[in-house]
Amino acid sequence: MRQRWVRIVLLILAVLSTGIALAQSGGELRFCLRSDPKTFNPLLMADDASETVRYLTGGVLMRLNRLTQEAEPELATSWKVSDGGKTITLKLRDGVRFSDGTPLSSDDVAYTVQQLMDPALHSPTGDAFRSGEGRVITRVLGKNRITITFPAPIAGLDKLFDQVAIMSAKSPQKEMAVLGPYYVAENKAGAYLILKRNPNYWKHDSSGRQLPYIDSVRLEIQQNRDIETLRLERGEIDFINSIDAEYYDKVMAQNPAMAHDAGISLDAEFMWFNQVPTSPLPAYKKAWFTSTNFRRAISEAINREDLVRIAFRGRAHPAAGPVSPGNKFWFNSKLQPHPFDQKSALQRLAQDGFHLQDGVLHDRDGHMVEFSIVTNAGNKYRERMATMIQQDLSGIGIKLNVVTLDFPSLIERMTRTFDYEACLLGLVNTDLDPNSQMNVWLSSSDNHQWNPSQKTPATAWEAEIDKLMRAQASALDAKQRKQYFDQVQEIAWEQEPFIYLVNKDALSAVSPSVRNVHPVVLRPQVYWNIDELSLGSEVARNK
Amino acid sequence: MKWARIMAIAFLLVVSAASLLANFVAPASYAHQFRDVPDAAPSRQHLLGTDDLGRDRFSRVLYGTRVSLLLAPAAALLASVLAALVGGIAGFVGGWVERCVMAATDLFLSLPWLFLLITVRALLPLNVSPVTSVVITFALLGCLGWAGAARVVCADARALSQSDFVLLARASGSAGIRLLWHHLVPNLKPVLYAQFWISVPVFMIAEANLGILGLGVAEPLPSWGSLLRELESFSTISGQPWQFVPLILLIVVVSSFHLVLTQEELPV
Amino acid sequence: MDALLSLRVSGGYSGKPGVMRDLALELREREILGLVGQSGCGKSTLALAILKLLHLKGGKVEGSIRLKGRELMALGEREMRALRGSEIGLVLQSPMSSLNPALRIGTQLEEAWRVHRRGTHEECRRALLERLENVSLPAEPGFLKRYPSQLSVGQAQRVLIAMAVLHRPALLIADEPTSALDLITQSEILQLFASVRRQFGMTILYISHDLLSVATISDRMAVMHQGEIVECRPTAEIFREPAHPYTQELIRALPVVPQLAAAAGK
Repeated sequence: MRQRWVRIVLLILAVLSTGIALAQSGGELRFCLRSDPKTFNPLLMADDASETVRYLTGGVLMRLNRLTQEAEPELATSWKVSDGGKTITLKLRDGVRFSDGTPLSSDDVAYTVQQLMDPALHSPTGDAFRSGEGRVITRVLGKNRITITFPAPIAGLDKLFDQVAIMSAKSPQKEMAVLGPYYVAENKAGAYLILKRNPNYWKHDSSGRQLPYIDSVRLEIQQNRDIETLRLERGEIDFINSIDAEYYDKVMAQNPAMAHDAGISLDAEFMWFNQVPTSPLPAYKKAWFTSTNFRRAISEAINREDLVRIAFRGRAHPAAGPVSPGNKFWFNSKLQPHPFDQKSALQRLAQDGFHLQDGVLHDRDGHMVEFSIVTNAGNKYRERMATMIQQDLSGIGIKLNVVTLDFPSLIERMTRTFDYEACLLGLVNTDLDPNSQMNVWLSSSDNHQWNPSQKTPATAWEAEIDKLMRAQASALDAKQRKQYFDQVQEIAWEQEPFIYLVNKDALSAVSPSVRNVHPVVLRPQVYWNIDELSLGSEVARNK
Repeated sequence: MKWARIMAIAFLLVVSAASLLANFVAPASYAHQFRDVPDAAPSRQHLLGTDDLGRDRFSRVLYGTRVSLLLAPAAALLASVLAALVGGIAGFVGGWVERCVMAATDLFLSLPWLFLLITVRALLPLNVSPVTSVVITFALLGCLGWAGAARVVCADARALSQSDFVLLARASGSAGIRLLWHHLVPNLKPVLYAQFWISVPVFMIAEANLGILGLGVAEPLPSWGSLLRELESFSTISGQPWQFVPLILLIVVVSSFHLVLTQEELPV
Repeated sequence: MDALLSLRVSGGYSGKPGVMRDLALELREREILGLVGQSGCGKSTLALAILKLLHLKGGKVEGSIRLKGRELMALGEREMRALRGSEIGLVLQSPMSSLNPALRIGTQLEEAWRVHRRGTHEECRRALLERLENVSLPAEPGFLKRYPSQLSVGQAQRVLIAMAVLHRPALLIADEPTSALDLITQSEILQLFASVRRQFGMTILYISHDLLSVATISDRMAVMHQGEIVECRPTAEIFREPAHPYTQELIRALPVVPQLAAAAGK
């Protein structure tokens, strides 16, 4: 009899310690912020730290599921976009209360949207909604129903609400009354923030238990990345959202259970040639850089597989175009990365009259092919890539000079003096929607890096891209938009104004004591499902 | 101490010979990336392993030694000569000249050098060869590194110019540059030597730091500075002690120089 | 006898004017004139004034200084530079601080020689060794290789005298040359001055606050008091019958040495 009891107890213990059957409540999740949040007003947040706080505390009408990349109902149980993308009608969830107990009503949504669109407030979140001149109209149709009409149609309207944390119109606590899983309980500037679980949070798990499982979140302010990694190793924090390939390898070697590779991220590393007609470059170099053959040849002469394998320790993928395969819906799956092919590269160059002479490439007029590539100093990965590209290009007789510059002088050259030849940089993409790339692709834009602020498109293909980007922005049907944007991607692949090199993997390190972790490529990579995370027993934590 | 000196001389000879003959001694080009074996451990092909891009570290150390061993002392010499000239003349002439020069030196010291260097780099053309770039870097370091030393030299020169033997030298008809050169400079030697030997490693490290700002030796040319940058990410190198070779080399070379020269040149 | 040097000067320092007040002095050819006075009364100021180096110490001088009939006050710095060392030699009080510690003896002497002469290394070397012999130092190349720190104080002062007489100057100014020396070395150096005068036939202005050494060496003696020369007569005469009250006081203050007391009593 007694032995049987022991066996049952042991069985329960075994189940508990694996943590599969039972999610445990309680505990404190700890991780680092790079800086203090600049504001607690969710509409004014633009910095990383504030956005983290917003994600953990804010309640939104709909949430972009970071795993499926689809919008899912949160405070709004259903919605309908009408009027060509100008109007959205929402039905709110019943019985939701703010953290201070104030009930949620459609008045709060109206208040939040009016604030969001208030030109006097200059909300960075609101920028995405300001597609045209005019005022936003909110119509409260009842306690739980509301219609919002924007001045102009907005493509992908519903997903934009992922960023809009609903504020209370009436609560005396103002923006500190929240609808998300946590509320800010303590804020010690420069040291830490403590978030406590919101007792009024509406979400429950399948067994009916109120979420989130974890009682509190402690956000430590820590600028230094080395110290951050040290603290993770000591078990003082539970995870680091984004780590580099070197550190990933180290974590992998020490404790494989901690290392998470979520796959291809949205971030891209790429280079481009200066095609600005007024740049101070000699005419023959301008001729090189504006030649599609030349750009394609350079692209083919670069061994992207090697860049991935050596510069990024294998924690990246060769890039094909402006959209990473990590962006599930918008990526044009027809496109493949340009293969490494020196012979083809030389053939393309020969079409433009380039020829090898004693192993050195010369152009039609006999100029030796030599150019410099600038990149920002202090980025180990870019410096490595540049040095590798240097060796790759010497394979087709091109002399490449690598110049690392501090960021301000780099920007100065890129945007004002245009005194550079080629530039190697990366792009951190946070938004899935192609609208966020409008400012890069439109030839009239300041951020059209290879030849910004054009009065009329310099080339036929740039004109075509302009047309397609505008078309996708005004189309409402997602499939239609995708068709247009696929074409943009194809032109970019064909012309290579940007030579895309690699897409980095989204890497993170998470302590094994954190359960139910499924890091994804979208931010916030590790804690996107904060509701469902839980902490293991102390035994597990100390492992 | 004698055997230590002999060892030091022998060591320096070997190091300089190996680095000067790097073209013959080095098993590989300093720039060639053996992409199949990045971050390799020491082996017969790669005596000190390979770096993160698969370049033979032993060859890079040899070439890097040549660059740093030639240029850092050259820059230190330049800085010391400037310090001797400015500090020496100011301290020697004294009066308002000294006050003006030292005020200018203070101003020079208080300038935000980092930004100035960055500006200078921004002004340079982009297509310069790595060798030119490294020479420019060290020349800049030399031109900028004199001010601290000049203050020390000036204080010394002032004390010296008021000494009896300088008075006597004047009384025997010596004056001007002749007096400065024959009577002051020999006495400034110890302080100049000290400044020189302080500057050599400082310039090597400075070059390494400038590399982080994009002003140092341009890829793919190695220098001790760029080799030392491998040690930056301390957390990832603990398993690869051979990466410390450049650092050890730097320390041993500088102390060897010190050992050889202090014994020989300085009167006790 | 002609006057080698005759001067009449006033001057002092910006913080301390009137160190020399219309001070008149005359030095004859080949004589040793002892200049006595209290410490800090301006004797060294006078020495520097003659060399026109007083500005180095922040001092100023006006009046007239004539050397061999030439007015030094009218000469420019370049002409003065040609005179210093070749026509006027200087020996200072402390031999150790007067030698450059960083230079070998030979180097310092050679430098002093080359300031006024051009010549081969051999000529220079010969001149130096000759002077070493003149001042009774070992005239050998090994000695020239020494650093000042390797010499005794007496040797150092001899080196300095050798340096001062290198170019056979007409006038040698010795500013307290023996006060830093012990008694025996002191008497040796005094003898050396006498011998130098004999060998080179030069005039020596021997400055000292030490009456005894002045009495031993000088032909005439000048007493300086409050910026003026109060008495200037043959040494023996002054000791026999000091005229000025200050001189009388000086002589009374001398420690009584039987011999001198007897001489005074005659």
